[in-house]
Amino acid sequence: MTFTRRELLERCAAFGAITLASSIPLSALASAWDEAEKKRTPTPFCELGPFYKRKAPNTSMLRAPGDAGMPLALSGKVYDVRGQIVPEAKIEIWQTDNDGHYDIEGYRYRTLLEPGAEGSYAIESVMPGHYPTRVCQHVHYLVTAPGHKPLITQLYFATDPVFDGDPDKNYTRDPLITSSELVRPVVIKGDPKQITAAVNFDLVLERL
Amino acid sequence: MIPALAILLAVSATAAQPVAKVQLPCESHSQDLSPTGTQLAVTCKDNSVYLVEVSDGAGRKVLTSDHPPNTHVYSQDGRWLAAGFSDGTVEVISAHDSTASRQWKAGPHRIDTLYFFPDGKRLFVGPVDSPGTVWELSETPALLATLPADFGGISVCAVSPDGKLMVAAGDDTVLRWYATATWQKTREYRDFLLETFALTFTPDGKSVLAGGADSRISVFDAASGKQVSQLPPETGSSIFYIGLLGDQNRALAVYFDNAGGKPPQALVWDLITAKSVPVTGDAPPTCGAIVKGKLWTCSSDGKMLTISQHE
Repeated sequence: MTFTRRELLERCAAFGAITLASSIPLSALASAWDEAEKKRTPTPFCELGPFYKRKAPNTSMLRAPGDAGMPLALSGKVYDVRGQIVPEAKIEIWQTDNDGHYDIEGYRYRTLLEPGAEGSYAIESVMPGHYPTRVCQHVHYLVTAPGHKPLITQLYFATDPVFDGDPDKNYTRDPLITSSELVRPVVIKGDPKQITAAVNFDLVLERL
Repeated sequence: MIPALAILLAVSATAAQPVAKVQLPCESHSQDLSPTGTQLAVTCKDNSVYLVEVSDGAGRKVLTSDHPPNTHVYSQDGRWLAAGFSDGTVEVISAHDSTASRQWKAGPHRIDTLYFFPDGKRLFVGPVDSPGTVWELSETPALLATLPADFGGISVCAVSPDGKLMVAAGDDTVLRWYATATWQKTREYRDFLLETFALTFTPDGKSVLAGGADSRISVFDAASGKQVSQLPPETGSSIFYIGLLGDQNRALAVYFDNAGGKPPQALVWDLITAKSVPVTGDAPPTCGAIVKGKLWTCSSDGKMLTISQHE
């Protein structure tokens, strides 16, 4: 026998398994539960690449004064597939500089973030350059959390000329892009003298 | 994906002695020389693959263009060719006769890494972003072991000459030692910050050489798993192949440029003195292998191929 969420709550209330304040009707609780558990699709995999480096510093400012390239603001939240925040997630992010070079010897444009209870992350960087053997500009992500499958993926930019303005249609021009979901819209912000490309990229982990 | 040794080795043309000339069965700019030096796996422009005998140029098509492999590798005795496909399928083909091939689905993910055990009876299969698997190559291949990493897959592995020990390098930068009799993990090394792309045992089985994005060869004691030495780095590059030449004290290492701009380079390292000799040449050869302890390379104009041995 299976129950709807409302029936389950009613039965729990009837058997004393939950106690509700008089101001909270069961229907509201059921709706809140439904809302909180909006199902999300796991973020698609995209391969790790050869330049992952452990022990990156915890910093939200990857851009240094004078660095070449358009400022980039990346942000998002870490969810599980039920739509709940994953508070113990760790996010490793790495990318090339504006010239398309990875820092192997050091940790430029690399970070390890711990979003905490809010599940939010935000970094300040620059738009990565084109790595010579890759088709598209990209940013690497590795997200781990207890009880969840590690997520290895890459973020791409809808403004990349490779997509000819239609990433849904043209994302396969980079054979490593597994889904158009990884190609994110870019919002240009700021005044004309100091514009920033802002990109939101939520990350959804599968449970183990 | 790490480019194959065959495509990118750049070696001296001046020190080379021609061994054979072979008419290619198709337009080809990428070949694999078998470890015995007697056969070529020729990848055609349309991605089909022929096996071609070096002695007489006789060839047969073994993989078609409608199902091209993502990677392929010879067994160490040259008797078998294993191919891995994007849909997770693996095929093992007899290199010298028309014995029925074995084909099976190793998993749902693209196969990036294949490695034959020294006895040719077991095969390591490394899918992208998934644990590695080891298969017994009976008529119906059987899964022997699953080798996980903290995340991602296994980028490269090597098995000791006696077949008793395997070392596997994960995407997570960790090296893991396994006893192949039980598939128990016996040791691990977690001090690398960057990935390892090349592993090999010395012929006596006493040492393991590892190299990768840190641009240097690290030497490990095979039994204890302890690092015993590190050779100087070639800053700005990553090692993607290591092979032992002649005696156990010289190692060929092939490097790719991290910035992706320069052609790959090869160095021969003396493991005792930690000195290297660059191996330079006019043009990148189209294949290479270490045959009986010596470096063999190929050069081709797309139609005719010349195999040379280097001293």
